[in-house]
Amino acid sequence: MATQKPERFDQVDWAEISRSRWFDLSINSIGMLATALPLLIVALYDWQILDERTPTLEPVGPAWDVGTVDYLFIFTLLLFAFYIVLPLFQNPRRTKYYWREFKRNRPAVVSLGWLAVVFVGGIFGPFFISAPEQSILTGYQPPVFLSVEQSYVSTCVGDIVGGQCQGTWQHPLGTTAGGKDVFAGIVHGMTISMQIGFITTTIVATVGITFGTVSAYAGGWVDELMMRFVDIVLSFPTLLMFLLILYIYGAGLGMFILVFAAFAWGGTARYVRSKSLSISEEEFIKANRISGASTYRVVRRHVVPNAASSIITQLTLLIPGFLLAEAQLAFLGLGDSTIPSWGQLISAGRSDLSFAPWIVLAPGMVLFLTILAFNFLGDALLDALNPEAEAENA
Amino acid sequence: MTDEPILSVRDLKKHYPIRKGIFNRQVGAAKAVDGIGFDIAPGETLGLVGESGCGKSTAASSVIRLEEPTAGEVVFNGNGRGGATRNPDGTHPNDVTRFSDAELKRFRRGAQMIFQDPASSFDPRMTVGGAVAEMLEVHGMSDRHRRRAIVEDLLERVGLSATDYDRYPHEFSGGQKQRIALARALVLNPDLIIADEPVSALDVSIQAEILSLIDDLQTEFDLSLLFISHDMSVIRRICDRVAVMYLGEIVEVGPTDEVFADPQHPYTEALLSSIPTPDPRSTVGGIELAGTVPSPTNPPSGCRFHTRCHRVIQPDGIDVDQSDWRGILNFRDRVAAGRVDVESIRENVAVDGGPASDGEVGAQLRTEFDIGERIGDPEIEDTLQDAIDRLLAGDDEEAAELLSDRFTTPCAETVPERTVHSEGHESSCLRHQREQAAAPNPADD
Repeated sequence: MATQKPERFDQVDWAEISRSRWFDLSINSIGMLATALPLLIVALYDWQILDERTPTLEPVGPAWDVGTVDYLFIFTLLLFAFYIVLPLFQNPRRTKYYWREFKRNRPAVVSLGWLAVVFVGGIFGPFFISAPEQSILTGYQPPVFLSVEQSYVSTCVGDIVGGQCQGTWQHPLGTTAGGKDVFAGIVHGMTISMQIGFITTTIVATVGITFGTVSAYAGGWVDELMMRFVDIVLSFPTLLMFLLILYIYGAGLGMFILVFAAFAWGGTARYVRSKSLSISEEEFIKANRISGASTYRVVRRHVVPNAASSIITQLTLLIPGFLLAEAQLAFLGLGDSTIPSWGQLISAGRSDLSFAPWIVLAPGMVLFLTILAFNFLGDALLDALNPEAEAENA
Repeated sequence: MTDEPILSVRDLKKHYPIRKGIFNRQVGAAKAVDGIGFDIAPGETLGLVGESGCGKSTAASSVIRLEEPTAGEVVFNGNGRGGATRNPDGTHPNDVTRFSDAELKRFRRGAQMIFQDPASSFDPRMTVGGAVAEMLEVHGMSDRHRRRAIVEDLLERVGLSATDYDRYPHEFSGGQKQRIALARALVLNPDLIIADEPVSALDVSIQAEILSLIDDLQTEFDLSLLFISHDMSVIRRICDRVAVMYLGEIVEVGPTDEVFADPQHPYTEALLSSIPTPDPRSTVGGIELAGTVPSPTNPPSGCRFHTRCHRVIQPDGIDVDQSDWRGILNFRDRVAAGRVDVESIRENVAVDGGPASDGEVGAQLRTEFDIGERIGDPEIEDTLQDAIDRLLAGDDEEAAELLSDRFTTPCAETVPERTVHSEGHESSCLRHQREQAAAPNPADD
């Protein structure tokens, strides 16, 4: 190859090339397909063949019954890995540039660190820390280094010093009234939060970007119709809808994610539409249309990537809303009480606030920090990914 | 077949509908391009020149079908399409405006475009190499190493280095970006390149470099060029032939040398006089076009240039100084439009002390419209003075009526036809039409 003289552009036989067309996939798409297909097969096997009560992975060992939400979660993680993380490695120059820009915002770097902890904890934590279990006898254990009056605790795991039950490393953040370990609850809550964050974001991004770009490019009455539909979606009382579903079908985490995501994409769609409209007026879009590229290609390769900085920012700012909504519903007792979410933990401790504040404070602080981190991150991403700023700093 | 033009545009129109009201009824149209026609021979450079807003860029994007033309025919014979004959129904098989999607995509390999603003003609999120290689990818070249090799070679040809492939647009200067734009236009090996003001965003020294690069590439790869510019000196530098456009129409077309040496249309004259000359004693120049380009929504009747023309024809029975005549017509139009503010002129004149007399205000009006103090023809002078007096008396409508009745020009009534001055040199001006009607043999011209 290296010894060969490079082919000149005017020696290309286009007639031959346009005859031999075949579908070529990027390495990212190949990776995505290679991993998503087995996942789909497992899901189908789980759904159709396996007995409902048999945990999915029993034949191979671990007793982990993979649920619908888990499948969706793994799928979105794959998307994240192949279309966001992998491109960062494929484009090291650009990644370095983004990182340089991002680093300037220190709170955002700390936030990213915290979110990484939540992310890793949420994905790998449950494999090492078993789910918190009910054990009435060891209820109200105080966190390590703290103590609580003996009368509140039926059995103190640690020492009793001067009528005070001391906290132990066995329950570093104490336990709830039912004896559930708060630390384990927080770690498992990370999984739930990550699931909420990733799945809703994927749904909102997919629907919002598709709707927004189609609307912008279709124009005319199609645009009008689609945007009025967005108005309806935006003005729909999501909470009431959720309550209604809750009373009729009962609502698990999956239903919560679905309902809230189904009514949250309106803003994104509207945003993407306006962004697409302004980008489609740019000269480089004209230059691309003149290349003979299809509209789909222009939108996917040029319009969406150029709108990406604002889309990503908007999505990062959307996630805290979902996390808070989940916590609020759980606090009101409307959430899925079978899942160990932070909201459930907080609501479990609300009546014991006077003598056992750690049950509420520990998950509350984690929730607060996570939401704060998302907000900082969103801000910093907008600055770091903005192409205009890129041009100015050149 | 060899003298078949590579591009032949006939009666091309692009009208933008103007809609109003809740029912979106079409109330008019902005006639950005209104029936232009030209040919480009293989290897030739045709310049399209005109001031801002005259429809040059719209013409370009209609020709290349970036926008759908309203009417007309664009026959493209490059790309191995030569030698086609017309269909029985009169349509041409190579008519770009009738191309299907597949044919249009093939046409993209035959004709490409360079845009004015190098800063915005590249996707800021894509490496420049990627942007050029994308053209190849779109047209089905799926081998990424092959794409890269071709593009790296081409980048070197336009005066950059192969290592620039992985850099981003913001890392390049305007001139370098325009080189990359050239590479992008070239990479599909087209026969025709439309350059829409490719150098007007660059400074003069860079302009020269890019122009000579274009020149070299044109010779090497036998390209035809449609070169759009508002800058006559750039046109002279690069074009074989030039077409002058005014308000959606081509008013003069001819070989560059001839048009520059002997402009036939007054508008061309005015454009040429705008080229700065290094000679301080030069008397060339100084033709000032009053006002802006009229709205293409409602173009002037007759010859579209008559509202600004310095050679606007005086009707039979009037023979005054040409600049007075232009001033009178301007005055007439402004009064008719109700845009002569007598009060403010009166106030301005009055600054020097005491209220201004009607005489002073009248004189000021004449100065403003560049009309002499007394006009040679006493009858004209009387009419004009009468109109000024009425205007000063606050009788605007009557003044307007008086002016419109008395002062008319044939230019506003007759649409000029093409006059042939010599081989390939044509213009549309009523003056030539009259001269030719008077002279029996146009070849003597």
